Formats: sequence, C-alpha cells, structure tokens
Amino acid sequence: MEPRQPIDPSILPPRRLDPRTILVRALPGLPSAIFAVPFILTAVQGEGLALIFALVGLALAMAVTGLISWLHWRGFTYQVLPDQLVISRGILNRTHRSIPAERIQDVSIKRSLIARALGLAEVRIETGGGEADEGRLDSVSLDEAYRLRALLRGLKTRQAVAETAVKAEADVSSGDEETPLYRMALPRLLYFGLFNFSLVWIAAIFGAVQYLDQTQVFDWGRWLDLLDVAERELQARLNVMLAIGFVGLAVLLGIVVGLVRTVLRYHDFKLAFAEGRFRYSCGLLTRTEVVVAQRQIQLGLIERGAVSGRLGWGAFKVQTLGSSDHVSGRQELAPFARPTEIEPLVVHAGLPPFDQCLLRSVSRWHAAGACLGSVVLPAVIVLVASLYFPLAASLLLVLPVPLAVSLLRPRFHGYALAETCLNVRRGVLKQRDWTVPYGNIQSVTVRRGLLQRWLGLATVRIDTAGGRGINGPHIHDLSDDKAAELALSLVHRIDASGTAENRIRFDNTPSVADIS
Amino acid sequence: MTAQIIPLQPLERGYLNVLRVRSAIGWLTLVAIAAIADGVLQWRVDTVFGLVTGPVVVFGALSTIFLVPGRWRRWGYAFTDRELHVAQGWLTQMHTIVPVSRVQHIDVSQGPIERSAGVATLILHTAGTEGSRVILPGISRQRAEEIRDAIRGRISDAPW
Repeated sequence: MEPRQPIDPSILPPRRLDPRTILVRALPGLPSAIFAVPFILTAVQGEGLALIFALVGLALAMAVTGLISWLHWRGFTYQVLPDQLVISRGILNRTHRSIPAERIQDVSIKRSLIARALGLAEVRIETGGGEADEGRLDSVSLDEAYRLRALLRGLKTRQAVAETAVKAEADVSSGDEETPLYRMALPRLLYFGLFNFSLVWIAAIFGAVQYLDQTQVFDWGRWLDLLDVAERELQARLNVMLAIGFVGLAVLLGIVVGLVRTVLRYHDFKLAFAEGRFRYSCGLLTRTEVVVAQRQIQLGLIERGAVSGRLGWGAFKVQTLGSSDHVSGRQELAPFARPTEIEPLVVHAGLPPFDQCLLRSVSRWHAAGACLGSVVLPAVIVLVASLYFPLAASLLLVLPVPLAVSLLRPRFHGYALAETCLNVRRGVLKQRDWTVPYGNIQSVTVRRGLLQRWLGLATVRIDTAGGRGINGPHIHDLSDDKAAELALSLVHRIDASGTAENRIRFDNTPSVADIS
Repeated sequence: MTAQIIPLQPLERGYLNVLRVRSAIGWLTLVAIAAIADGVLQWRVDTVFGLVTGPVVVFGALSTIFLVPGRWRRWGYAFTDRELHVAQGWLTQMHTIVPVSRVQHIDVSQGPIERSAGVATLILHTAGTEGSRVILPGISRQRAEEIRDAIRGRISDAPW
C-alpha cells in the first residue's frame, strides 16, 4: 500500500534497484566460497556418495542464498514523490521510510570498483540524522543515479534558494579578514599544565614500586643482612625516608607528565573567527587545525575544574553537528581562559551569555540518589569486606568526602529557561554550565527510576545532536510536577523557535560585523 | 502513576498478543535448552526429568501471563499535531516527547507477528544522539500512517 496515489503523470511508480545489484552483493562473498571447495574436497576424501552429498549441499546453500538476495532485491523499492522520497524494504519485516524533501541535505553518488565495472552507482541521501544509513540506494544504474540526484535536488530547490540568499547576505556584511579571538602564550600554557597534574601516573608508579618490591629488588632486608644487626635501627628510618622520597617523586612525575602532555597538545593555541567560522590550531609535534562553523554549533559549555575553577579559570567548549567537511562532537574553543576572555567567544558562537541569576534549583532530594550510590553502597561493600580483611575498615575514613559532595549536589545544580535557550548548571567539584538554544533540542525525555518514583522525583533528559558521553545538559531530580511542567514548556519553546531546521535558523543569526 | 504530563492513549490490544507471543518464543527457547540439560542430567546423574524444565516452564508461564500485561500497560502515546509523546518502562519509566519540527525521517514497519495482530511500529528519527530513534510500537497500521502523513505535512509546511 503506497501512501499516495500517483496523480501527476510525472510521478513514476515505485522502482527497484538494478538487478545486477544481486551479483555485486554476492561477489565479495565469492572468495570465501571458493576457499570452502578444497576444504570440502579434503573433508570428504573424494568418496563417491559423500562427495555428491557435499556438492548437492553446497549447491543448495548457494540456491538459498541466491533466493534470499533475490527476495531482498524484490522487496526493496523507492519512489520519488513531490514532497518526499519513500524507501520500502524487507521480506517479512516490511519497513517504509519516508524522507521529507526539506530534510534532504545532500545527495551523493559513490562508485566502488565492481560497481564501476558494471556501470552501477550507489546513491546516498543524507539528512543529518543520527544514523549513518539513512537513505542508501545500493545500487542503481549510473543514468538512474544522475536522474535521481537531479530529481531530489530539484525537490529541495526551494530550500537551496532560501539558503543561498541568506549566505549572500552574510557575505556582504562580513569582511574577509580573520579576527583573532584567543591565544595561549607559554607562561599560561605552563600554568595550565600544572592543573593537568596526572593522578593516574602516580597510581601507576606506586603499582610499579609494589611490583618491584615483590620481585625482591627492593628487599632491603637482604642487603641489610650483610650489615651489622645493630644497624636495624637505620633500616626503619631508611624505609620512612624512602617512602617520603617515593611520594615526592610520584608527585613530581605527575606534575611533569601533566606539563608535557599539556604542552604537546595545546602548544601555541590560537583561535580566530572569520565568515561565520571559528578556526583553531594547536599542538607541538602534531599540529591540529579545526574549523567549526557557527551554524553547526549545537550548544555551548563552560567547564570549571575543581581547583582551577575556584581560581577563576574555565574552558569554553561547543558541541557541533558534523557533516561531510566538519568535525562532530565537543570542540574546545578555549581550554584555559578567564571569564572575561570567554564572554566574546560565547557571543561569536551566537549564544546568549549564561545568566546565573535566573537559575532555579532542583529538589533537595537530589542528594539522596548520590548518597545511595557513592556513600551507602561503598560503605556496605567495605563493611562486608572488613569481615574478611579487618584492615579494609580504614577505607570508611574516606567516605565523608563523597558524602559531603553528595550533600552539596542540590546547591550546585540548577536550570533556567532563558529567552532563547535553556541554561543548566551541574557539578560540585567540576562545574559545568550549558547553554542550549531551544532550536537545537531534538527531543525531551522525562525519566523516573525506582528510587525517584518513591521520592516523587523525575529527571528531564535533553537530547542534542552531535553529543557523546554522559555529560549532557540533563536536569536531574526535579519534583514530578515541575518536571512535567518543564518538559512541556521546553517542547513549546522548541516548537516556537522555528519549525525550520536549526542550520537554517542559525544562518539568520547576526554575523560578525553586526556583533562587533 | 503520579503526575501525568499529558493524557496518554493505550496501545492496541493486539500488541499485547504480540508481546505475549514474543515472550512465549523467548521462554520456549529457554525451555528447549532446559530440556536438553535435563536429558543430560537424567542420563549422567539419574535425576528426575523436569528438575530444570519444570521451574523454567512455571516461570515462563507466570511471566507471560502476569508480567507481560504489566509491561504492555506501561506503554502509552499521544499525538498532538505538534509533538509525539511516547511513554514506556516498567521499573524505570520514560516519557519521551519529540517535537514534530525535529523529525528527520519516519519509518513505518510491520513484522510477521505484528501483521497477524494487525499492529505496526512507527519510528521517528531525529538528529539527536541518545534518542535519535523514537519507537512507538503497537498502533494500527492506519494510525501509524496517519501520524506519519501528519508529521510529513507539518515538516513540509515549515516557514522559511
């Protein structure tokens, strides 16, 4: 059943892929099939009946594979309608995918070696969705590929016209020269390196010392046995001094490793802005250069470290949605900067400043979940362990630290619905401030875990494009009704922020010249 | 259930049967494995047949009869023309809201079990990361296509 009956004579009925596709798909599997033949021959040892069975089995397997590929081919159709592309596929599990014309970002044609030999081509329809395999026609004849590209690009001409118009406007208003925005000189780089002090290396060094100790290299007793027994006194003192020495060495190494790593990565960090794009370069041995287009920016994030943040330093990061020539994920536009230096970067990124006065707090019960996970559970584990190893009980002395952090969490977590964006602050030790324009929120989820349901709480999760990892702008542990209210007002603001897609919306944000 | 974000519609009753059949298939596989284990035990250790299979059959039957409807009841959806709400989850409850303007493309799919029960699955794809696929199973084929066409209409009407 097709969603729309063709009325316009120019609309063609659903088409199948080129039948040679079956052959193209079978070819990569052929070498392994050929390798199987001698294996089968040796396995049956050339015995008459067994050989026949093996060959019949092989033929049967090939026939079944062929039938399945044929069914797949038969089940796969595509149709270009005036406002969308419909791809239907599947034998038992039928899926009909509709890609609205407005969502088509690009139509690319790819040709592998085999495809080129057969005059075939793979057509990819990119929509900027989360999935890589959104619209793939593998494969059609080359003529059909060109026809499709022309047709699909024709469908989105309206969008293209709008886009070029906005771009032309932007080109007029902005100059060609780059504005340098931020750079990190050597003294600051070294200062930054001190905060990148690496604890992991200290652990590694202690591990190594432990290992060497076990391998008898540092068995002081053996050496001291050679000396007089009266010098045992010295041994105790020596051990204490040695321990202090090792700690000192580990700390020193941690600092040095942090410094070296920072210098290697961030040496001569330079950030500039021109024509709606940030460009930064850094690195000592391998110099990386990254271009971040302003319209690809999905959200801004200011991170303040546990120590450096208290001393007034922070990092400004943006999350970008990648496309064919742009990187995706979190980009550090300023790794170590003062708030006054970050401010202009935020403006250039097209984001409003983070206003902490507007922040509303979450439920006080926000501490409960953290207490359970990082205090109660470890305490139980330690107590059980101390039944077998009494020394383990000393670990209980460390627990007040996570307890304090957990109890402070509600005070360090807040959110605000600003005019054009959502602001979220979270983190006790490492503080993070997110700024997410409403237009870049893809979906909102209200999540209630078991404990949260008992306490009448809910978490509002914000899904954005290009984000990876756990640190999203989620708002944890709001009271039930507040969470529902927040989710609904967020959705309304997303809707009001313009139904058009975000990249188009961002083209309309003021260009450089207007800001400065 | 506490504070509802929006009144939700339940899924089709047919989907309950789909869930039951899927659960039964899963448990039958386990029963088969248990039966083999039983056979081996009986042969080697001379235990009574059904030592392993019995409990698996009982758990499977209980789960299929009593737990599956609970899971089914947790599902709910609402389509308001501007957004689609999908709620699910038994221990951890999730309520996802997708603004129609954020939908990239739409799938309507139907497997053999679903087809015999007269239900279909609607999948919305967004540009997001975690929730790039929002899945709504267990609605009638007609309703799925209605929602799809409505969403497509909204995207096409987008002002520039």
